[in-house]
Amino acid sequence: MSHNHIHIGTSGFSYTEWIEAGFYPKGTKSAEMLGLYASIFGTAELNYTWYQMVRTEAMERMLARVPGDFLFAAKLTRTMTHEQDADWRRQTALYRQGIQPLVQGGKLAAVLVQLPPNFDRTAGNRAYLGALLDELAGLPLAVEFRHASWARDSVFRELEKRRITLVTVDEPDLPGLFPGLDVVTNPDLTYIRLHGRNQAGWRTGNMQKKFDYDYSPRELEDWLARYGKTLLEKPKQSLVFFNNHVRAQAPANASLFRKILAGNEK
Amino acid sequence: MERTIIHINIADFAASVEQVVDSSLRGRPLIIAPSVPRAVVYDMSDEAYRQGIRKGMPLNRACRRCRDAVQLIPRSGLYARAMAALQKEMLPYSPVIEQAEGDGHFFVDISGSRKLLGLSPDVAWRIRKQVTGNLGLRPIWTVAPNKLVAKVASRVVKPQGEYIVADGDEAAFLKPLPVTILPGLLPREKEQLREFQLHRAGQVADLSLAQLRAAFGSRASLIRATAKGEDQQPVAAGEVQPRLEESRLFAEDSNDKRQVEAVLVSLVEALSSRLRRRRQRTRRAGICLEYSDGRRCWRQATCKEPVDDEGDLLVLARLAFVRAWIRRVRLRSLTLVFDLLTLAIRQHSLLSQPGQEKRRSLQAALDQIREQHGAAGIRRGSALPG
Repeated sequence: MSHNHIHIGTSGFSYTEWIEAGFYPKGTKSAEMLGLYASIFGTAELNYTWYQMVRTEAMERMLARVPGDFLFAAKLTRTMTHEQDADWRRQTALYRQGIQPLVQGGKLAAVLVQLPPNFDRTAGNRAYLGALLDELAGLPLAVEFRHASWARDSVFRELEKRRITLVTVDEPDLPGLFPGLDVVTNPDLTYIRLHGRNQAGWRTGNMQKKFDYDYSPRELEDWLARYGKTLLEKPKQSLVFFNNHVRAQAPANASLFRKILAGNEK
Repeated sequence: MERTIIHINIADFAASVEQVVDSSLRGRPLIIAPSVPRAVVYDMSDEAYRQGIRKGMPLNRACRRCRDAVQLIPRSGLYARAMAALQKEMLPYSPVIEQAEGDGHFFVDISGSRKLLGLSPDVAWRIRKQVTGNLGLRPIWTVAPNKLVAKVASRVVKPQGEYIVADGDEAAFLKPLPVTILPGLLPREKEQLREFQLHRAGQVADLSLAQLRAAFGSRASLIRATAKGEDQQPVAAGEVQPRLEESRLFAEDSNDKRQVEAVLVSLVEALSSRLRRRRQRTRRAGICLEYSDGRRCWRQATCKEPVDDEGDLLVLARLAFVRAWIRRVRLRSLTLVFDLLTLAIRQHSLLSQPGQEKRRSLQAALDQIREQHGAAGIRRGSALPG
C-alpha cells in the first residue's frame, strides 16, 4: 500500500552538534537549519515550544522557511504540563493564540501534550488533565503519558470519545515507564515517538546520555513488524518522530526507517 | 563559533528581593525609596508599576497615586548579597558570567559548554528552575546569539516569560519591534528617529549607512548595527567592576551655576579622599544628572594615566559634567562615579619634579585635616556656594 500518509521526522531540528555530525554543512546558522531540514524531511516536532510559550511572530518566521506541504507537531508549553502555573488557563489561551499561524496555514498536524513522569493517575491529576484537554479542544491533540498508571482501558476509552491520540513510545524497557502499546484512540491520527533504548543513560538526568542511542536496522524492522499494521497502515495520518538526537542519530534513523518502509512498500 | 548567550533578568529586582525576604509583601504594591526630603522612587513591585508608579518618580507623587503602597528604604547590602547568591546558582553552567547592571541582570555565555550541557533553552530553563526553587525569585530568561538581542528579548517578555532567538534570526526578530526598545540609543536619537517617522527597528536597519550618517554622524554605524541585532561585545566575566559613587540631592531643583559647581566640587572632595584612603587611582569619572522632569543624562570622561590628585580629579569630573549638562532644565540631583580603578603604586622619578611633590604634600596635609576634623574641616573655596 502507499505510505504517503506517514510523515517521518525528528524531535527538534536545531542542534549545533548536528553540524559536527555532518547532517548540516559546516557554518550553518541555527536560523538556517529548518530550511535545510525541510529539504530532507516533511515534518518536524517542535521541542522548543515546551520551553517557550509559542508566539505568532516566531511561528510566522518558521513558516516562511518550509515548503507548502510541510507539517509541524508542537509540544505544549511546560507551564501547562510540568509546572502547572496557577494561571494555566491563561496559558492555554496564549498557546491557542500563538499557534494560530500554523493552524491557519494548515500546517499543524498535532499538539503534543507530554506529561511528566511523576504525573500519575490520581483524582486530582485526572481532573486537571480533563480540564486541560477541554481548554485545548478543537486543536489536534496527542497525549504522551509517562507514568504506567495511565495504561488502562478507561483512559483509552475517554481519549477515543474525545478523538484524542494516545502517543505510542519506544523507549528502554524499565519498570514504571508507560508501555509501548498498539492502541489507536483516534483513527484520524497516530503519533509515534522513538526515544532510543539507552537503559544506562535514561535516568541520569542528562539528555546527552538519555537520548544517545542508534537504532539498528533490525530493531526498526522488528518495530515495524509488531506495530506497523495497526499504527501506520490503518489510520488516516501517522506521525513518526525520532528523539535520539545525540550525534545526529535521530535524522540518520529517520532516514533509515523511511528506507525500510519504502522497501516494504515495493 | 556560534555564540549562545543566556540573559537572566529579575524584573523589579529590589522589590522582588524584598518580597522574598518578607512574604507578607507579596502581591502588594511596594515602593522602595530613600528616606530623604524630595526623594524619588528607587524601585517598585509589579503591583505598584501597574498603578502607574515608575522609577525616578518623585516619592510624594508616587504615594498620592498609590495610597495603599508599602514603602521601604533601599537596602543595597541585601541586594548585593542576592546578586552573589544568584551568580552562585549559575556557576555550575558556565564560568563566563557578567553581572550587567548590578540590579538583577546577568549574561551567561554557554557557547563553550553546549556539548556538555545539551540544548541551550534547557540550560536556561534549569537555571530558572534552580533560582526559583532555591531563592524564591522568578527570573525572565532569554537565549540569543549576543547580549544585545538577549536583552531586547527580555524587554519583550517583561515582567515574566522567556524567549529564544536563533543565530541568524537577530534582524528578523528585531524588525517589527519599536526602536524605543533598543538599548544604547540616546534620548535625542530616539527623538530624531521619531521625527523621521522611523518607528520600527526594521525601518532603521533598511537604511544605508550613508543615509544614517547624514542624520547621526559618527553614531550611524552603531545605530544601524543595533537595529540589525549585531553585537560582538563579549560577556565580561568576573567580579563587578569596583567603583566609588556619591550623590547629592539639591534642597530645591536648581540650575544656578555657582550652586551646581559647589556641589560638584564637594563630591570630588569626598570621593577623592575615599579614593586615596583606599590607595587607589582612577582613569574615569562619570556624571549622572537627574533633571527636575525625571530625565537623566549620564556622561563620562577618561584620561590616559590613572590619577588620584584632587585637582586632576576635578578637571576630569568637570569635563564629564560639561558633557552631561546639556539642557536648561533645573537639576534635581548630581551623582559622581569614579571607576576603572587601579592600585596607586608610586615610583620615584629619575628626574626631580618639585611641583608634583609639592602638590602631593599639600594633598596629604588636606587629607590629614579632613580625617581629623571631618570633610568640612577644610574646603576648596569653590565648594562653598554663594
